[in-house]
Amino acid sequence: MWMAGMTFSEKMLKIDRRIIFLMIGLCTLLPLLYPVGLPIKTSSEVRGVYDHIESLPEGSVFLLSIDFDPASKPELYPQAIALLRHAFKKNLHVITMTLWVSGTGMADQLVTQVAKEMGKENGTDYTFLGWSPGGQAVIINMGQDLYSAYPSDYRGKPTKELPILEGVRSLKDVGYMVSLGAGRPGVEEWYVFGKDKYKFEMGGGCTGVMAPGLYPLLRSGQINGLIGGLRGAAEYENLIGQKGKAVAGMDAQSATHLAIIALVIMCNLFYFSLRQQKG
Amino acid sequence: MIFLRRQLPLLITLVTGLLFAAQYYVPHPASEQMLTSATKWLQIVGGFALILGVTSLFHQHAVKIRRQEAGWGYSLVLYVGMLGTIAVGLWTNGKESVEGTMTAFGWIYNYMMVPLQGTMFAILAFFIASAAYRSFRAKSREAAVLLVAAVIVMMGRVPLGEYLIPLSGDVSSWILNVLNSSVRRAILIGVSLGAVALSFKIIFGVERSYLGGGKE
Repeated sequence: MWMAGMTFSEKMLKIDRRIIFLMIGLCTLLPLLYPVGLPIKTSSEVRGVYDHIESLPEGSVFLLSIDFDPASKPELYPQAIALLRHAFKKNLHVITMTLWVSGTGMADQLVTQVAKEMGKENGTDYTFLGWSPGGQAVIINMGQDLYSAYPSDYRGKPTKELPILEGVRSLKDVGYMVSLGAGRPGVEEWYVFGKDKYKFEMGGGCTGVMAPGLYPLLRSGQINGLIGGLRGAAEYENLIGQKGKAVAGMDAQSATHLAIIALVIMCNLFYFSLRQQKG
Repeated sequence: MIFLRRQLPLLITLVTGLLFAAQYYVPHPASEQMLTSATKWLQIVGGFALILGVTSLFHQHAVKIRRQEAGWGYSLVLYVGMLGTIAVGLWTNGKESVEGTMTAFGWIYNYMMVPLQGTMFAILAFFIASAAYRSFRAKSREAAVLLVAAVIVMMGRVPLGEYLIPLSGDVSSWILNVLNSSVRRAILIGVSLGAVALSFKIIFGVERSYLGGGKE
């Protein structure tokens, strides 16, 4: 709270946080209402995932692990939509699953929605295996025997009878795998317990805040691409030529980033001015 | 009794630890079969761990409600929410939709859990902005370096930043790919070596805290 005798700098440093909340609220809302549509450059990290899917021949097995829950939906849901659209467009055999129990319903809706939009049939063109307990144990079990890790899919159909899983006995038969992770188990677990032992190519997707932590995996070639946060999703949407929620959200993200930068600069200016006043 | 409480668990840890460390390097079908069986067991144990977790949560909050400790009302909300969800889940056979029609369980998931989790995540942006304003100050040389790097990365990760300062994208990419990667890799190597050392200590019975602190 402001008190009598406070200098301007002191007052500004103790500004009511509701003013900051209002500023961030407006920076999010206004660009959503009045989009600008600034160009989005594609990074080599996102292109790595796109190019690999693009290089897969028709009918290749693509495994997408939707390892997040509704809390990370704004960032990872658009990534999943863009990846599924791309995979379906390439006529890949899409296997989806989740290692997060709280994300099961959301993942099912997501896969069903995109498959319906792309005219794909459950069991023949794609499948959603659902969730199985055990975290990384599920990955190892899938590497050993997929039918044992998931005896039935989310709808209760035996996996051994699904046409899409014909010839897919374990992770060794997967052409490409992407884990969209918001924590643990996620991208790192898929690399450590999956790719490293069962030798399939993999890429990753994660929230913006997690992305810097996954760069060592990317730079060492342990994953061949990384879609980071809403920005990564927007880049992928641009690459497949189907702009969605991620591209729409980039203006809002731009404005909030700049607002935070402005706040940080202001707070430092007031801080140094106060320090100078106090000698 | 000491054998059952101390020596047997240590023996099991030693044998299984060495066995599964060696298994990774032995691609023989028998070794692979052993891993398949073990991971299946792990999955089953994982399922039971869930029951254990829920039971422990119920117990903790039951104590809070009984003693009417500070915030016991929230524990009551947890009880009502959890029991209600379990009951509805069992009633609908765990299905969120049946032939395209949303069940009560699906309704709870879609109209309660999804928006609640989304809200929790969304308010982070407001708190981060407020916290950044109050605490992100260049009080030392190290803090100034961190501040400059953060500003560059924040600029370079959004189209408006790249539009205003075209170089920010490349500099941000360099910070993430070179500086960030190398430092994180160093930390990872340190952590991994520590994990290997700890694993050896557990396997050979030097580290025994997992056995509990009960008197022999």
